[in-house]
Amino acid sequence: MHQDSRKAHCTLGIDLAEIDRLNAVFADFADTHALPARLRRTMRMVFDELLNNTISYGGAGVIDVDVELVGDRLLVTISDDGKPFDPLEAEPPDTTRSTQERKIGGLGIYLVRQAMDEVGYARVAGRNVMTLTKRITDD
Amino acid sequence: MDIATRTEGAVARIAFTGHLDTNTSPQAQEALDAMVAGGARTVVLDCTALDYISSAGLRVLLGTVKRLERDGGTLHLFGLNESVREVFDISGFSTILKVFGTEAEALGG
Repeated sequence: MHQDSRKAHCTLGIDLAEIDRLNAVFADFADTHALPARLRRTMRMVFDELLNNTISYGGAGVIDVDVELVGDRLLVTISDDGKPFDPLEAEPPDTTRSTQERKIGGLGIYLVRQAMDEVGYARVAGRNVMTLTKRITDD
Repeated sequence: MDIATRTEGAVARIAFTGHLDTNTSPQAQEALDAMVAGGARTVVLDCTALDYISSAGLRVLLGTVKRLERDGGTLHLFGLNESVREVFDISGFSTILKVFGTEAEALGG
């Protein structure tokens, strides 16, 4: 990992265990910048949701994760060279259904969208690029 | 993640410590499946030390409650922290799962 004052970068292999390694990298970054505990937990969830799918089904070789603090915002970019996939196209789940009727599909990206302030997707030069923004507030 | 289980008759208690996410959900699924297969009808899940949950964890809980309800059983949860409760609220799981404030309520509910 490379970490300068306000940025960190991590390249992940295609292995679910890499999510924990990214979490460790982000924990260091969060320590350095005294980020609130709630944001740390939110980012664990966001990384888990987004990377689980890419690692399990994305057909990528590597995944690049960049985090940066700009003013009072945390910017996160996750990119991979896998097949084109825009998770934002997923149908939102019906959160009012009963247990027996309830389906789980689309829930992960829904949680991410609710947790972050902005979530974007672009296909850039043969890569999937997710951009996420979260304004940092105290716990 | 650490999992502790205790069964008394048809009431099975299980406590998760740590993160219920992609990497730990298979372990949680296995433990819950064993309880249901062992005849548990009421499963009480202690979330006091559960730090956070992702959709992989929600999937495990939903699958478990579906199986329990088919046989007239139920899943009761208690001790959710703010992060876990937030995920439950956003996903609608707060209304489809039985969430209690304390262990006594979860056992009695």
